[in-house]
Amino acid sequence: MEGRGPSGKGSGNGVTRRDFIKSVGMGSLALSGLQLHPLRAWAAESPRFIWGGPSEFQSMDPHAIYDVTSENLRLNLYDHLYRYLDNPPKIHPWLAESFTVSDDERTWTFRLRKGAKFHNGDEVTAEAVKYSMERLLALGKGASALFKPVIDAEGVKAVDRYTVAFTLKEAYAPFLSIMPTFCVVNPKVVEGKAGPWGSEWLSQNEAGSGAYILEEYTPGVGWKGKRFKDHWMGWEGKHVDRIEFRTIHETASRVMTLMKGDIHGCDGYLPVEQIAKLEDARDITVYEEQSMRICLIRMHNQRPPFNDVHVRRAISYAFDYDSFNNEILKGRVARNPGPIPNNMWGSPDDLKGYSFDLEKAKAELAEAKVKVDRPLNIHPMTGYSQTDDAALILQAGLRQIGIDVNIIRETWPTLSGKAKDMDTSPDMWIHWVSTYYADPENWIGEMYSSSRWGAWKASSWYKNPEVDDLLARARTVSDRTVRKELYEKASRIVVDDAADIWIYNTKWYGPYRKSVKGLRFCPVGNGQECRWIHLA
Amino acid sequence: MNRSLLIYACKRVVYAVPTILGLLVLVFVISRVIPADPAALVAGEMATPQQVEALRKQYRFDEPLPVQLVLYLKRLAKGDMGKSLYSGRKVFDDLVDRFPATLELTLVSMVLSILIGVPLGILAALKRNSVLDHLLRGVTVAGLAIASFWLGIMLQLFFSMWLGITPLGGRIGMSVDPPASITGMYILDALLTLNGRALWSAAVHMILPSLTLAFASFATITRFTRSGVLDVVQQDFITYERAMGLPPRLVIYKYLLRNAIIATVTQIGLLFGLLLAGTVVIETVFDWPGLGLYAFNAIVLSDYQAILGVTLLAGIAYVTVNLLVDIALSLIDPRKAET
Amino acid sequence: MKGFRLAWKKFTRDRLAFTGFVIIFVLLLAALFAPVLAPYPEDTFQIHPADRLQPPSAEHLLGTDSMGRDILSRLLFGTRVTLVIAVIAVGVSLLIGVPLGLVAGYFENLFSEGIMRVADIFLSIPQVILAIFLAQSFRPSIRSVILALSITYWPWFTRIVYAETRALKKRAFLEATEAVGAGSLRTIVLHVLPNVSSSIIVRSSIGMGFTILTAATLGFLGVGAQPPTPEWGVTIAESRQFLPDAWWYATFPGLAIFIVVMGFNMLGDGLRDILDPRIRRGFD
Repeated sequence: MEGRGPSGKGSGNGVTRRDFIKSVGMGSLALSGLQLHPLRAWAAESPRFIWGGPSEFQSMDPHAIYDVTSENLRLNLYDHLYRYLDNPPKIHPWLAESFTVSDDERTWTFRLRKGAKFHNGDEVTAEAVKYSMERLLALGKGASALFKPVIDAEGVKAVDRYTVAFTLKEAYAPFLSIMPTFCVVNPKVVEGKAGPWGSEWLSQNEAGSGAYILEEYTPGVGWKGKRFKDHWMGWEGKHVDRIEFRTIHETASRVMTLMKGDIHGCDGYLPVEQIAKLEDARDITVYEEQSMRICLIRMHNQRPPFNDVHVRRAISYAFDYDSFNNEILKGRVARNPGPIPNNMWGSPDDLKGYSFDLEKAKAELAEAKVKVDRPLNIHPMTGYSQTDDAALILQAGLRQIGIDVNIIRETWPTLSGKAKDMDTSPDMWIHWVSTYYADPENWIGEMYSSSRWGAWKASSWYKNPEVDDLLARARTVSDRTVRKELYEKASRIVVDDAADIWIYNTKWYGPYRKSVKGLRFCPVGNGQECRWIHLA
Repeated sequence: MNRSLLIYACKRVVYAVPTILGLLVLVFVISRVIPADPAALVAGEMATPQQVEALRKQYRFDEPLPVQLVLYLKRLAKGDMGKSLYSGRKVFDDLVDRFPATLELTLVSMVLSILIGVPLGILAALKRNSVLDHLLRGVTVAGLAIASFWLGIMLQLFFSMWLGITPLGGRIGMSVDPPASITGMYILDALLTLNGRALWSAAVHMILPSLTLAFASFATITRFTRSGVLDVVQQDFITYERAMGLPPRLVIYKYLLRNAIIATVTQIGLLFGLLLAGTVVIETVFDWPGLGLYAFNAIVLSDYQAILGVTLLAGIAYVTVNLLVDIALSLIDPRKAET
Repeated sequence: MKGFRLAWKKFTRDRLAFTGFVIIFVLLLAALFAPVLAPYPEDTFQIHPADRLQPPSAEHLLGTDSMGRDILSRLLFGTRVTLVIAVIAVGVSLLIGVPLGLVAGYFENLFSEGIMRVADIFLSIPQVILAIFLAQSFRPSIRSVILALSITYWPWFTRIVYAETRALKKRAFLEATEAVGAGSLRTIVLHVLPNVSSSIIVRSSIGMGFTILTAATLGFLGVGAQPPTPEWGVTIAESRQFLPDAWWYATFPGLAIFIVVMGFNMLGDGLRDILDPRIRRGFD
């Protein structure tokens, strides 16, 4: 069965007709509910697990969106061929049982698990995987940006019912690493539905094989799901039968709601004061996990005065890392001096990076050939007050070496949109790079290869032929130790060039009610996968 | 209803059309001046420039503005409001889904502010300079001076966070299933389906948002009713009629009440606009999943189709209410229809 | 002169109006002497992360914010921001709105019809929604807020002046002045304007307050003034995530808005009673 709800409408056009059907349909539902109470009786014995997050769900289509918020629907309603679990993230066979790579490292063949079922009972086949990849590439949204440079629709073949082969344009070592960003949908359900590739329909319904079935999706509010009893993995032990993901925009509201017990958990990147309060609360456990989510200030390396390495170094020396990490964030983050998270392979252990030192900053500024003759613009992100704090700290620091800074707050879509064009790309902006997949390519590879210019992750417009070469090699070699060395070397150069200002690597402080047991955190998805938990 | 009234009503309806058209053009032109690149938004945060270009073509963002406007109006004529760039859903569906929440909040607030505001306004005018008048004057002046978002936050702080007796936000309790949807308005639906639990929860969730929203409009309506009545009181013809020896009580009923009602009904249009505007802030503060929150999100995300859609809806709603107000006025006071 | 003295006497006797006047006077002083009055004038831009979120104390009378800045000092500097925004926005709206309203009301031709149509278009959408939209389009800043408020507020003046002028025209004496041979401009300035001025003043008084509120709303929603501008709405928005513990952070800026807007409203209210000639012939 596919998810349905008040908003899961078909293609009806007239308001009156649709509303009529809606009211009659729901009316009779209500009637049957009043007479029989089958759901209610069941509901009384198993409470719903409710999680509150800050952002709205833009869409339910796993191929249309790709951000941290939507991870919960991809992990719970859908399955991947491979999936990351635990911390540090380890990749596990999921819908696929195994894979092989051809000698030229261009063809990846995945062997599917037999008997895995979609929610309507159809079997998950190679054809479905092929269709899903074609759909992802054709829609050109969400995670497709990861796959498009690597593979064409022609490169996907269903060899037999349970074997699917991906032939890449060229060897790409992190291919397995990006596989857990790719969801498999049921073509038989999606085909023929409204919109190209059924996208209109799938944006508010579901066609997956995941551990939970969509019950109801209400835009602006959230979604509810119930356990899929026939999930291929089977169910052992205790589980939560019904789940809900709710949008609660305001931080203070989320925290209060959690403390009152109306919800069971909320997002793990709260202001430190709120975390401290939750840690003191009786019924709450705050799980602390080393995550992989670096915070940094980008600089436009191609635009004066940032095109002078001495100016960039001066700015790097003018940021008070200690104040920010230890006073504002109360030491709940770890200083991360380079572009790869400290706890990810490829990050050099002895990397020192920059510290707050105004004398050095002045010295670097004196050496600079390009003069800073204008106020620099920095853009925090609307709704993320930590980025405001970072901007203020940099502004205060730079003021002391005689550089004026304008703070102009903008939204994430606006900034990430502008960052795709060298002319409109901001002077400086502040953001995080989360673990979209656990490979250094997710950070340094996408951020500092000039071949990736035009993506928001590459918005420092950094170009260094040596680094380009190192990163390109690291992409095609499959040997982990060789790759590690390449990434470490590239890291050192990028840091020496002061391409950006790297601030910290986040810890995750996930607040949950004590009744929530079995939580399994992974930096990819931030512990939102519900199949592991149960309510005591 | 006589013929001249009917002609008047028709005329007003016809007059409303260019207003809405003008509104569309206005909003459309401004929306294309927004700095962000709309195509980049559709493509999403991970898209490559090629994907952005393809989408720009698909959505015809590269056409000149007038062409885009004509395209938009054409589609609109067919009842197609386009798709929200960000949610990927039809704007129309988004609006339909969100509308009942806002309507419910607005209606409750309007009833609250009229029920309290109008009688107090008339009373204050009739008992001008009494203690009551001064007291009310103070309250209404204060009511107009409070930033509604701050009032909302303070009420949250006091009643929800400190006392813990009201919910912080949302339309219904986390563990309560919404009532079966008939009108989409939870309180009404809960009444219709005899769902006591949902009714209680929805009503409790309504308290703070509706009070916050009603506070400013209550002040407005009291203030304007008072000054409306006073204006009438001070008009020469009343003085004249009093001079002619008509008993004051009769004068009050004959002119004052009718004119006070006219003044009040006139204010309903303004009030509706005030409430509609208030929802943007109140819904943001109380996490109320209605049109106000939707409008705000659409604007900060530069979601053009959604902005146009919600603006259009707000415009039509406002124009319609004012139209009804005018027609109602002409029923009360037929002289209006003649002009 | 006698009339003025009479008005002043009446004004000082009207407690509400006089209180309003005093509040605005104090506000002006605060704005003028903010650098002297503020205990920590450098806190408009200087940050002290170590003193983050301190409750009110002798050192910081109204506490500190998330960057350790003195809230009282920032509120004092905020009066400047608020006054600049409100005075310019209302001034521009007056300059645009009143002449248009007079012309549209006095003449009954296509041009005046056109003016009112355009005004209607602006009024057919709630002001805040259009203002948010405009401020965001111009890219959020104080200048954008002023522009957005001016563009959206003038039709209110136009509509009211228009309505009053039309009402006035129906009365006999305007026709009389025209019959005597007075020119249109002369009639408008000498006879119409004084008669509609009380409405303009009431509208301006509400307008000042209203504009301050809307500007704060824009700041609160993130499309107005930007950090580190000590704008009150922005401060309240910043404070929300530290509730309920840092109650002072949200409370005092809101109180500041309340007091200032209250001042303008009370002043306007009082002025209305004093300036409106009809009231003197009223019941009391």
